[in-house]
Amino acid sequence: MNGSPEVAILGVGLWLPGFPTAAAWAAGAADAAVEKPVGAALDRVNRRRASPLDRALADTVAAAVAQAGVDAATVPVVIGSSIGEAATMIGLLDELWRHGNPMSPADFTMSVHNAASGLISISTRNRGTTTSLAADHDTPAAALLEGIGLVQTRGVPVVVACGDEPAPAMLVQHAPPWSMLTAAVVLAPLTATPHLARVAVATTGTATLGFDRFPPLAIENPQIGLAALVDAVLRRTAGVVPLDNGKGRGHRAVVAPGPAA
Amino acid sequence: MRTDPLRVTDYAVLSALGADRAQHLEALGAGRSGLGPAPFELPFTTAVGAVTAALPELPAALAPWSTRLARMTAQLLAQLDAPLRRARQRWRPERIAVLLGTSTAGADSTERAYRTFVQTGAFPDRYDFLRQHTFGAVLHVVQALTGAAGPAWMVSTACTSSAKPFASAQRLMQAGAIDAAIVGGVDTLCQMTLHGFEALQALDRGACRPFARDRLGISIGEGGALALVERQGDARVLVEGVGETSDAYHVSAPHPEGHGALAAMREALQQAGRRPADVDHVNAHGTGTRLNDSAEAKAIRAVFEDPVPVVSTKGYTGHTLGAAGAIEFVFAACAIEEGWIPPSLGAAPLDPEIQLHVPTAVLRTPVRRALSNSFAFGGNNVSLLVAAP
Repeated sequence: MNGSPEVAILGVGLWLPGFPTAAAWAAGAADAAVEKPVGAALDRVNRRRASPLDRALADTVAAAVAQAGVDAATVPVVIGSSIGEAATMIGLLDELWRHGNPMSPADFTMSVHNAASGLISISTRNRGTTTSLAADHDTPAAALLEGIGLVQTRGVPVVVACGDEPAPAMLVQHAPPWSMLTAAVVLAPLTATPHLARVAVATTGTATLGFDRFPPLAIENPQIGLAALVDAVLRRTAGVVPLDNGKGRGHRAVVAPGPAA
Repeated sequence: MRTDPLRVTDYAVLSALGADRAQHLEALGAGRSGLGPAPFELPFTTAVGAVTAALPELPAALAPWSTRLARMTAQLLAQLDAPLRRARQRWRPERIAVLLGTSTAGADSTERAYRTFVQTGAFPDRYDFLRQHTFGAVLHVVQALTGAAGPAWMVSTACTSSAKPFASAQRLMQAGAIDAAIVGGVDTLCQMTLHGFEALQALDRGACRPFARDRLGISIGEGGALALVERQGDARVLVEGVGETSDAYHVSAPHPEGHGALAAMREALQQAGRRPADVDHVNAHGTGTRLNDSAEAKAIRAVFEDPVPVVSTKGYTGHTLGAAGAIEFVFAACAIEEGWIPPSLGAAPLDPEIQLHVPTAVLRTPVRRALSNSFAFGGNNVSLLVAAP
């Protein structure tokens, strides 16, 4: 594969510490009080169950879907995460091996990689296609390709969101730490107008845009590539966005602004 | 919305039943279960489907990635050695995708390493989370062993994980992005899933008995299956449709009326332009829990006006979680290729409320098409429509 078909972007979402929304990021208005995602898009019961990653993904998806003006109850949802609910898993193992306690059934059910997509589907009453995938630092490229495949074959808008919490420190002692980050885009056929931008995924090419606007801890996050794509869309910039931070296979997103609304 | 059929030119399977297709057919035909005692200590009683086949060690360059999950995957790739060689001659490496599924990823490695960490304060020297635990680690192994350099990802949607990659492959193929893909999934037994299902009070103390009147829950298993799909070539079977839906109901319980399951089966048929009467067999998700089997039976009855033979193969392999979709795709393919349907092991005496045609002996009958169901935590549902070419 050398490149994917081009699709439109109708909406975006972003969460990183200090920036609870894409609008806050675009305004450059960091709020030091924003340390944990709220999960406002989840219903009360599921918010209580949700990990910080699930909450951030749900809010990011909801923001992108709202901007795109698509129906949250029918839009196909693709969630990408490199390590998913690893923190929940470590909590379960700690109970089991350190404390000798029986496993919490609620925590066990929330340890699956598709916890976020399940919670989003339940909260939005979405009975359509939801999926969760991973490809280490290539997760943003993989999620975009899955989303583009859905757009191409179904001809409908699709929301693609990626996110990772910090990896449990004891598990990745020899790798640089990263901060939490989630990002989302709503993809659609190019015939959808107006659209914010056009994008295609390429396997080669020299990046013309980078991650220099992001804090160092965000750049280490495996999902930084999707956040950089969102940033380019927000700034109405044309260029080639690296979809990984040098630790993946070098996929690129070729992005250009769409017709102004 | 019609989609092009996916051409499956070959496939491989590994489970508690054996190390290849022939061993699986022999066990299915004989009605012989692979379930037995767990190969490690547990504070409760249950039966599991453990893989006992010899697993190859990875080449030295891949030693840091060597886990049970990776070695099971390597065993499956070895079964596909000849067709993969042929595929590499036909297609450019960047046009061959690796689209797999797992629910556990390297959890068995991490839980052993974490136990050592709790006991000694340090992880074992050779433990490497990023190379042995992450969902993407096995992708690296498969790409290195096969030379496939196309799109690669690991779907992880709990018990539908290895059914969904068939839909991904169908989409990439139809979009013209790839010419071939290695599709399927693997999962290993681990303490965490056994303790988790025990906490949910979902484990049978013995071998699971899907659709039986006195069924008591699931048995966990391990294994995997891989299918080679190609744009051209002699297909052994086709995947004509893949239904993907959500219950939007509960994180761990199926919708009691099976609404999501019903929608997944109908979507698979719709994609293929087929009617229920075109289907000769259903390989059910059939876990053996009261709730799943009851809800799935309602869904199947709602789809099919005329009784269709419905079998759960969980009594042979156990519920292989993230690998179940791919393994049961193989069982559906075998029914089509061989012209017989295995008995639904442990189903007798049948639950009268199920009201399905559940064979309890080998049923010799032509099978043109089979639906294979997989349902998961998060209310995730997949139904594959497998057909003779």
